Amino acid sequence: MLKRMFLAITVLPMVAASAATIEMDVNGLVCAFCAQGIEKALRAFPATDDVVVSLEQRLVAVATKPGQDIADDVLRKALVDAGYSVKAIRREDESLDAVRARLKVKP
Amino acid sequence: MSSLSIARGATGGLLLLALGGAQAKPIAFAHGTTVMTEYGAGTMIELQAFYAPYYWLSLGGGRLRLDSDVLSRTRDIDYLRANLLVHRWNLEAAQANVFAWGGLGRAHGNDFRGDVLDRDAGFQADCETRRVYASWMSDLHESRAYSHRVDTLQLGFAPYAHDYADLATWFVLQGRNYSGDLHRGIEWAGLVRLFKGGAWIEAGLTAHGKPQVMAMFNF
Repeated sequence: MLKRMFLAITVLPMVAASAATIEMDVNGLVCAFCAQGIEKALRAFPATDDVVVSLEQRLVAVATKPGQDIADDVLRKALVDAGYSVKAIRREDESLDAVRARLKVKP
Repeated sequence: MSSLSIARGATGGLLLLALGGAQAKPIAFAHGTTVMTEYGAGTMIELQAFYAPYYWLSLGGGRLRLDSDVLSRTRDIDYLRANLLVHRWNLEAAQANVFAWGGLGRAHGNDFRGDVLDRDAGFQADCETRRVYASWMSDLHESRAYSHRVDTLQLGFAPYAHDYADLATWFVLQGRNYSGDLHRGIEWAGLVRLFKGGAWIEAGLTAHGKPQVMAMFNF
């Protein structure tokens, strides 16, 4: 019982806090239609909370819902199936709003 | 072309403009629907709708009206078409594509009897960055009664680099050549293209002062 309480107090908030922002450097991002297609593909994942696309930075960022994740190979396949090339995928501690502000992307 | 046809085409174009507002591509993105309409200076009116199950394939159809300004010839063509992205180059700050398409349709005209089977084939090659754009498109419609090819060159530049949420503005120089006695010489036009999100509008005038309008919506 004590062990369960300990888990509830310590681990679960960590899982909730693991709602991550995943950033992807993407080649071929040149127009709004590219962004629209990528956004549509990524929003189709149940784990997706929000998506930001920056043509200027050639970057796509996905925020996942608390406690959920999308594997790198799944993300890579989604972008390749949308017609684009993924250069890199990384996970950041920043919130998507912070990423949006850093990239100067309008909400 | 009758004044009624012009009015219908212009009304269709204006209706789409009123709804929202392209490098027009026959495939916008996977699981996307594209609706396009174009009024080409009195010589061509076209409406197209395509659905793309994959980013490299779209299926749909269109209606094309060709009206010769050389001879009093008209063509009304309804067609079904498949568009294929043959190859795409995704570069760091640019994208280039080669598309090809083929289809079949039904056509009638004012200088032959009845309906004829129309065969459609074409290709488009384009390259764009966020500031410059070039494309070449050839579209051939053939039947036992006619053969018409429309070749279109577009060169565009954007005065500023747009982002996803911005209104994109492009200035485009277009040269178009019609074969099969539809038009004499190359028809040059200066166009302004605006797009935001999934809506795109392009409008301008030919060197002879005729309007050229195109609108496209992706959703």
